[in-house]
Amino acid sequence: MKIVFTPDWFLLGDVLIDLISFATLLLFFIFSVKSYKMSKNKKSLYLGIGFLLIALAELAVIFTKFILYYDTGVTQTIGQMIVTHNVVQSVDIFYYLGFFFHKFFTLIGLYIIYMIPVEKKSKGEMIIAFYLILLSSILSSGIYYYIFYITALIFLVFIVYRYYRLYETNRSTNSCMLVLALAILGAGFAVMIMSKMSYVYVFGQILQLVSYIILLVLIIRITKHGKEKKPQ
Amino acid sequence: MERKRSHNEIISDILSIIQEKRGKIKPTHLMYKANLSHAQMKLYLEEMMKMGLLAKVEAMIEITKKGREFFLKYQQMKEFEKTFGL
Repeated sequence: MKIVFTPDWFLLGDVLIDLISFATLLLFFIFSVKSYKMSKNKKSLYLGIGFLLIALAELAVIFTKFILYYDTGVTQTIGQMIVTHNVVQSVDIFYYLGFFFHKFFTLIGLYIIYMIPVEKKSKGEMIIAFYLILLSSILSSGIYYYIFYITALIFLVFIVYRYYRLYETNRSTNSCMLVLALAILGAGFAVMIMSKMSYVYVFGQILQLVSYIILLVLIIRITKHGKEKKPQ
Repeated sequence: MERKRSHNEIISDILSIIQEKRGKIKPTHLMYKANLSHAQMKLYLEEMMKMGLLAKVEAMIEITKKGREFFLKYQQMKEFEKTFGL
């Protein structure tokens, strides 16, 4: 059973795309926290937490891919430790744990972002959602890898719809860019459902890269917004 | 009828007005432009001077470097909140 679908020629590109994604998400987290500190608006904080979790998900997958793709001393050392304690093969543990945290944190992050505009949050519903996310993260391995992408896509469809409705209200270029970026990210997840074929996987990753580049441009635009207001 | 401005919005308005006047303004002009009563303006000016956002130089109210930075950060925050509908 193939562990990852990345073709050999795309290994470095794969990790670089995840690094760019991580950096962009971290920027959004920092901005959200700064916004919360100034306005004390809890929605900013929750948004930041959502971004942070997805950033941690990217970090988990970067670390896992790096270990899997490049035969480093860390893998070998951990392999010896695992062998000493008679546990299953180290590579399998790395794969499952790393990709589990990637899926789990991504879905939790998307769920939090989805829930931000909801005024009355039911604890029961949140517990059920948490359980379903956990189940989805655990079950979407091996031949059922697509479960994660379908779940993430469903979240993104609702998130994109919400932000599209916001764009219809405020007609802001930045909101439009946000909708576009998230829609492309969703398209990337849709493509990844069929990512057993390596070229499809590459295309999905490229869509993810495009999406995060748009988000990066967005955060730069927001940062420059205040500087545009110069005194007369 | 416009909704009531928040505390931070009033501070931002004051800073914006002073910046538009090349960084300094007479207190009376500020009061009219910011649409504040004398008592309100006095309170806000005291607070903003305490925060280091404004300074009184002779008879004029001047925006400080910290005030300009605060205004910039506030604009960025407002744009961020507008983008995400927060």
